[in-house]
Amino acid sequence: MTPVRGGYAVDVPTINVSERARAEHATIWSTFKAFGVTLRRLFTSLVKRDMPTISYPEQQRNYSERFRGTHILTVRDDGSLKCVACYMCATICPAECIYIEAGEHPNPEIEKFPRRFDIDMMRCIYCGFCVDACPEEAIVMSREHHQAAYNRNETVYGIEKLMARPGIDAKGPGYRPNRPFSEAKLYNPKDKDACAWPSVTEERHPAVLYESMIQKRQ
Amino acid sequence: MPKVTINDQVYEIPPGRTLIQIADESGIEIPRYCYHPDIGIEASCRMCLVEVEKLPKLVPACATPATDGMIVRTNTARVQQAVRYAMEFLLLHHPIDCPVCDQSGECWLQDYYMEHAGHSSRYPGAQKTRRVKAVTIGPLVKLDRERCILCTRCVRFTRNVTKTGEIGVFHRGHAAEIAIHDEKPFDNPYSGNVVDICPVGALTSSDFRFKVRSWFLKETDSVCGGCSTGCNMRIDHSARALGGGIPGVTATEGTIYRTVGRRNVAVNKSWLCDEGRLSFHTVERWPRLRTARTNGPAETLHQIHKRFEMMRKEHGAGVVAALGSASSTNEALFLMKKYFQGGVDFRVANETQTYQQQQDDLLRRVDKHPNTQGALDLGLAGNLNGLQGIVDLAERKQIRAMWIAFHPQLVGDDAADTLGKLQQLIHALDYSVVSTTHEFSWAADATVLLPMAAWAEETGTYTNYAGRVQIARRAVAPAGESLPLHTMMSQLLGFSGIQVSPDSAAIFEWMARETPAYSGMSYEALGKLGLETVKETVQ
Repeated sequence: MTPVRGGYAVDVPTINVSERARAEHATIWSTFKAFGVTLRRLFTSLVKRDMPTISYPEQQRNYSERFRGTHILTVRDDGSLKCVACYMCATICPAECIYIEAGEHPNPEIEKFPRRFDIDMMRCIYCGFCVDACPEEAIVMSREHHQAAYNRNETVYGIEKLMARPGIDAKGPGYRPNRPFSEAKLYNPKDKDACAWPSVTEERHPAVLYESMIQKRQ
Repeated sequence: MPKVTINDQVYEIPPGRTLIQIADESGIEIPRYCYHPDIGIEASCRMCLVEVEKLPKLVPACATPATDGMIVRTNTARVQQAVRYAMEFLLLHHPIDCPVCDQSGECWLQDYYMEHAGHSSRYPGAQKTRRVKAVTIGPLVKLDRERCILCTRCVRFTRNVTKTGEIGVFHRGHAAEIAIHDEKPFDNPYSGNVVDICPVGALTSSDFRFKVRSWFLKETDSVCGGCSTGCNMRIDHSARALGGGIPGVTATEGTIYRTVGRRNVAVNKSWLCDEGRLSFHTVERWPRLRTARTNGPAETLHQIHKRFEMMRKEHGAGVVAALGSASSTNEALFLMKKYFQGGVDFRVANETQTYQQQQDDLLRRVDKHPNTQGALDLGLAGNLNGLQGIVDLAERKQIRAMWIAFHPQLVGDDAADTLGKLQQLIHALDYSVVSTTHEFSWAADATVLLPMAAWAEETGTYTNYAGRVQIARRAVAPAGESLPLHTMMSQLLGFSGIQVSPDSAAIFEWMARETPAYSGMSYEALGKLGLETVKETVQ
């Protein structure tokens, strides 16, 4: 039978208070027991050099290959940015933290490239949907997770920072569904042949374009 | 009347219709690429094949006239198979570069593939024919031959609508491709329309290309403010900046990305001229006036009203007047007329008589103001003998205070003469209130400068050259602290004791009650396509 208390049928566990109090009162014996643990740990740390803690940040653990850290923009074989500015990542992003401005690539076969690709790292929730949505493997996650900055603007990463930064070399790529890289590779500044991302060309302002068209017609 | 049976449903139809027209009118969906109601029939895509009883082969619905007693089926297994095969052929050499294609999201190939085909290609991807991509064929149009399905909509547009014939199909068979003649770039004043009618991503607009993906866009039905024709257009815009909280990028006002033609057979069919299509860029041509500015202590609308009242008491009722713009909405002009008790004139750069004159034989008109007819209907013409008359009166101090509403022309430049006269007027007046959209040097000396909502930032009606009243709806928020002119006028009327709703639909109903030409009209009645005003019968 379920005990009925205060009009409610509830299953309340009963505690034998006196028995528990007796166990807790045995303080002298448990004090020695605790010292024993401390001494054993002291011995393993000092003599056997087996320490469970590390001195962060001088020492850092190696994370899983599926760790979802700060994003990386990958490059083609010639060292140019792989992204074609298709906005799939910006579309799927649940945090709406990706801002892209597309431009006309000089090569009509590639057609499109991001003139601007910003990720707001403070807004990002590191779900990795952008990596899943990318048709070109142009964006992958890294194993890096340091986001400290002196002001908020620094936490918005542009193309340069997403493509090459010291953390990528130190930690390497993280979550990428098509491991190993099928076509893309990481930007390598030491590579002599590597070209920089396509130079940002100032396109004519639409109003200027419009004006010249009207003048031409008259 | 002849009777046609489509999918076991009998339709009575006027003679001389094709099957696809009947299907469109009665809501039966027939897939099509090459058929467009305004450019003539080609029957080349083979997507609209239907089964007609007693005919041995399937027939294209777009090119088959409906005859009495025809029994048509659009959903049999034979039709579905034919459509699937047509899709397979059309997609055989398609590059499937949807991620970088500008049409993606509004592409008919994508839509019909999901609906009617769903096959996987039998052709190895590496062996697909490659063609030239991103060819500039005109100032506004880029061509991608890989994506083209040779529906020849663009070819028929240049042949039958603009009658210029710049685009053609060159070579034959598998080598056939869309091209322009070497010497003649595709730059006629209506070139942007081929981008609208291209069902795939073969023709893209240089202006809109890569600006934004189509699925981010919101659609608002509006009317072009470029000239007195009043072409129906759809404004594609964002409600806010994409990318959320990026510092320095986020704007909450929304951006217009493009305008496309909206079909209205009575006005513009499906077309827009390039000037009108790109006229939304005019709004960003000069810096916007974002806050009110005065050449003295700050003044609210209430203080402006007090000042007008004071002037009237001191010098008589006639010294306060207003100058409306033929680009203002009917609602704003009506309230202006109410507040200034008839002392309103309106400004047109051209002579009032030329507002119906055509610039070419398709759409464009000489008068670049969208609402000249509306201002005339409200009886605003010639009250004060035009702009020159007002300047004369102001210099003789018969007019001392004025409200001047100024919308810049969306197409072309405002006449320097008009702007000079406006500046002269401001200098002659004791007290001038200028409500305008942008920072203009001629208006800098006004006593009070008020920011005003521009085209696409307010809801209102325009009456076009033929007397058709159409609603232009608000797409984006007004810049900064600017307000629509009808809102400012309703507040002024409120101070003078007449309570008016700032809602433009309510103002329009009041106007329809008091103006004979608009009797019985309301926003619901106008709908998407507008209504003609009641013409006075000649006895």
